[in-house]
Amino acid sequence: MARQQRRVGYGIPALLAIGLHLGLLVISVLRFPSAESEPPTQSIVQATLVSTRTTTDQAQQASQPEASSPADQAAEQPATAEADDAEAQRQEAAEADRQAEAQAEAEAARERAAALEAARAAAEEAQRRKAEAEAAAERRQEAERQRQAEAEARRQREAEEAARRQREAERQAEAEARRQREAEEEARRQREAERQAEEEARRQREAEEAARRQREAERQAEEEARRQREAEEKRRQQAAAQRAAEAAQSSLERAIAGEAQAAANAEQAREAANGFINLVRRSVEQAWVIPPNVSDNTGALVAIRLGPSGAVFSASIARSSGNSAFDRAAVQAVESAAPFTELRELPAGIQQEYREFNLNFRPGDIR
Amino acid sequence: MNDAMSIPHLIMNASGVVQAVMLLLLIGSLLSWVVIFQRTFVMRRARKAHREFENRFWSGVDLNELYRETPAEQETQGTEHLFRAGFREFNRLLPKTRSPQAILDGVQRSMRVAWSREEDRLNLHLVFLATVASSSPYIGLFGTVWGIMGSFQSLSMAQQATLSTVAPWIAEALIATAMGLFAAIPAVIFYNRLSAESSRLLGKYEDFAEEFHSILHRNLQGRGESGEG
Repeated sequence: MARQQRRVGYGIPALLAIGLHLGLLVISVLRFPSAESEPPTQSIVQATLVSTRTTTDQAQQASQPEASSPADQAAEQPATAEADDAEAQRQEAAEADRQAEAQAEAEAARERAAALEAARAAAEEAQRRKAEAEAAAERRQEAERQRQAEAEARRQREAEEAARRQREAERQAEAEARRQREAEEEARRQREAERQAEEEARRQREAEEAARRQREAERQAEEEARRQREAEEKRRQQAAAQRAAEAAQSSLERAIAGEAQAAANAEQAREAANGFINLVRRSVEQAWVIPPNVSDNTGALVAIRLGPSGAVFSASIARSSGNSAFDRAAVQAVESAAPFTELRELPAGIQQEYREFNLNFRPGDIR
Repeated sequence: MNDAMSIPHLIMNASGVVQAVMLLLLIGSLLSWVVIFQRTFVMRRARKAHREFENRFWSGVDLNELYRETPAEQETQGTEHLFRAGFREFNRLLPKTRSPQAILDGVQRSMRVAWSREEDRLNLHLVFLATVASSSPYIGLFGTVWGIMGSFQSLSMAQQATLSTVAPWIAEALIATAMGLFAAIPAVIFYNRLSAESSRLLGKYEDFAEEFHSILHRNLQGRGESGEG
């Protein structure tokens, strides 16, 4: 009974209360500094535009197989002729041996490669000549001046061009005869190209590819037989072709100049297009208001069609993100960033290619 | 949150009035927790003592023996205090009067006094808890209002009213309200809990007093009949 009468003192409760407060104080002091180390959230929109790039690349890639398929056919016919031509052409070809990679193989293979490459160039020539006509005249003259210092040579070439066109009309009458002469031209063109080291190197690489393709083709026996038959015809036509050699030579020079210039034009156009892509991307990015509560892996593909002046004809959702607010924001971003007047500054030839492209919107970036 | 916005830094940089308010609230919180702990222990002991004494009382022990177990000068608590007060009065009145009614009146009165003392003892300091619970939010609010006044005064002197000029003032002012709530919330909870416990114990004491009174009444009735006989 005695312990029941003992009074409850204030010492222990006071200690407990002080301990409680100290504990809370320590927790509040320790907790809050640790919360400082939270990294600031950064939501910077990073955007890259790729779809236009891929479309132009595809266009370029598509043109190459077109060029190479006639080249295969054309290369088969001179393949047998080169056995006869070898004696005449080997003296010139010997200098060409400096560019070694392709000629490491058998000489016959190299000759075939040269013929094939030239055939391909001839096929591309027609295509490029159209682009050439569209291109500004002064640029062509500049390229020609690069090639030929003297102005009278150019005048001479113009005169010979008329003659060559006359011969082309003749060639159309006899398809095989023209192909034969083209083979001759290409052999000469190869010698011409050797004078230009950088062009030659590029062509040699292409020639290697062509040679490999050619070797595959050689395995087929029936093509081989056909080539044998064509060899006799070529031998006969060679005499006539030789007469036109000087005239053809100058026309070839001109063609090669055009080819180099076309390549330069394409490069310029690609750079301008890249600038345009960057510009579009940046302006769309600035106009884009990302809706809240969008998860990182949503993405919408917006198909954009531009008018000739760069105004947006249509911007539609090609692939929805599933979030209608997000889709709407993407389309609105494109519409408010329009018009893309920089389109007019692009070269005329490629404007058409950049009038339709896709933009991929993701919360992290635009592609 | 940088170092200038941490809670200890804000408290140290607060204005004098706000600091005084916060100190007052800290003391109030500290004392209320002392009361909470002390009362909790007191209640637990009173409950235990009540249970033990009731078991003993109803175990059939002779009441004179139970009374003599504890020395008279020792202070008793709870049910035992009631029992001793009532039984002492009963023993004193018994030789002096023949009237059972007078004896029972005296016993009842003395037990009521003892009960009142027990009530006083159990409810000691609970009023303080109630005071802290009801007043500390207002005290904290006062500190906040004062701090925000200061922040607006400083804003009037600033050239540019940016959020960063007022933010530390308002933050430190709001700490006063937070501390007021911090003191008030436990005080409210424990005041309710402890006063409920106290009233339940007092109800039990009252029940015991009634039961003891009926036992004494039964004894007196038997004595009256035998005296008459």
